Amino acid sequence: MKIHAFSKTYDGRTVLDFPGMELQPGKIYAVIGANGSGKSTFAKILAGVLKADRKDIHLETDCVGYMPQKNYAFRMTTKANILLNGRDVSRAEELMDAIQLRHLENKRADRLSGGETARMALARLMMKRYDVAILDEPTAAMDMETTSVSEDLIVRYVREMGCTLILVTHSLQQARRIADEVLYFHKGKLLECGSKEQVLYEPQLPETRQFLDFYGV
Amino acid sequence: MKTSVMKAIALILSADAELIDILGVTAEMSIQSSVFALLLGLPIGIWLGACRFPGRNVLLVANRTLQGMPPVVCGLLFYMLFSGVGPFRHLKLLFTVDIMILAQVVLITPIVVGTMETYVSGVAPAVRETAKGLRLGGLKTFCLLCNECVYQIISAYLLAFARSIAEVGAVSMVGGAIAWKTNVMTTAIMQYTNRGNFTLGIALGMILLTVSLVVNILISLLQRRLSR
Repeated sequence: MKIHAFSKTYDGRTVLDFPGMELQPGKIYAVIGANGSGKSTFAKILAGVLKADRKDIHLETDCVGYMPQKNYAFRMTTKANILLNGRDVSRAEELMDAIQLRHLENKRADRLSGGETARMALARLMMKRYDVAILDEPTAAMDMETTSVSEDLIVRYVREMGCTLILVTHSLQQARRIADEVLYFHKGKLLECGSKEQVLYEPQLPETRQFLDFYGV
Repeated sequence: MKTSVMKAIALILSADAELIDILGVTAEMSIQSSVFALLLGLPIGIWLGACRFPGRNVLLVANRTLQGMPPVVCGLLFYMLFSGVGPFRHLKLLFTVDIMILAQVVLITPIVVGTMETYVSGVAPAVRETAKGLRLGGLKTFCLLCNECVYQIISAYLLAFARSIAEVGAVSMVGGAIAWKTNVMTTAIMQYTNRGNFTLGIALGMILLTVSLVVNILISLLQRRLSR
């Protein structure tokens, strides 16, 4: 599957200039970079939430799922929120068990904590199979234990469904743990892209090396 | 004063025929006008709050202006349109409850629109982003948005009802405050006070205050529920 080239400009300033790339099914692509490097803009444009400068087709599929950075919990129970994205109750219960939300299934979702809301949103997205699933910092609000549980679920979802997952993350450790490929964004440009071993341990460009050094990789 | 209040209470308890008629006309006018205003204002408010399009700001400014429109100006406008020299004189609506409802709808619909727009513009971006991310359809997204606004919808209705029941300027101009026909609580209080009949005025005032109190308690309860 191919992502076509696109760009995004705000008030004459280009915040993202993406050259395009091929995506392999069944792989996890971690998108890393400093704040303001264009990671979330990239995710939003691919998800169709934000429009790029030209209204071209950016992804060769319409079957794209997206979990935003700020997750919204609708004014209904946790279980009802998850079932918004599919009617399979046993699948919803299986996901709630896997992500440790079963005890909160009848609690109003808009009263969940930040980490619980993020887990609910993750389970809600995983109710369906998408060709491409995009997660924007899914574990940012979670503690270490639930992060680990969520990462296991993400990996299992990708392997079982055979979909492509794009994971925007601030955590290089997370990229190292679960990603197959890594995309490094710097000032709105895709600077490096390749296997995680190549990008995280043998970066080609000084900017990437500097970024990784800063985070102690 | 004390005697008048006692007489007013006695009048309420005896279910005085004129009092009952005034209450009936008031209920007919305020319930119908607030329901029509809700049906009209709700979709407009949600549309203005949820969508971004050229000219939206102009519509918002126009709505805010209408929210502050003096009722007597609205009454004057309707009087001119429906009086013997107005373009709609053949409808023969002047001095009927129907035109009072119409004038009230024009006065209170902007309140519903404004209340809904303010709330929806706060929640709509997050709802839309989440719904779009899950590839939920337009209708499902709209239903979810309405579900998020359910308490706000009730609150907007109660506000519209409270404004409608307490309004006097427009209804007295277009309704004429005709006894046993178009006299509502507010116009009756004015009329009877001018005649020196304080008993009925006080009785109506007590009922009006009680209704206002109940509506405000309901709004407070809803607001508390919203903030939870």
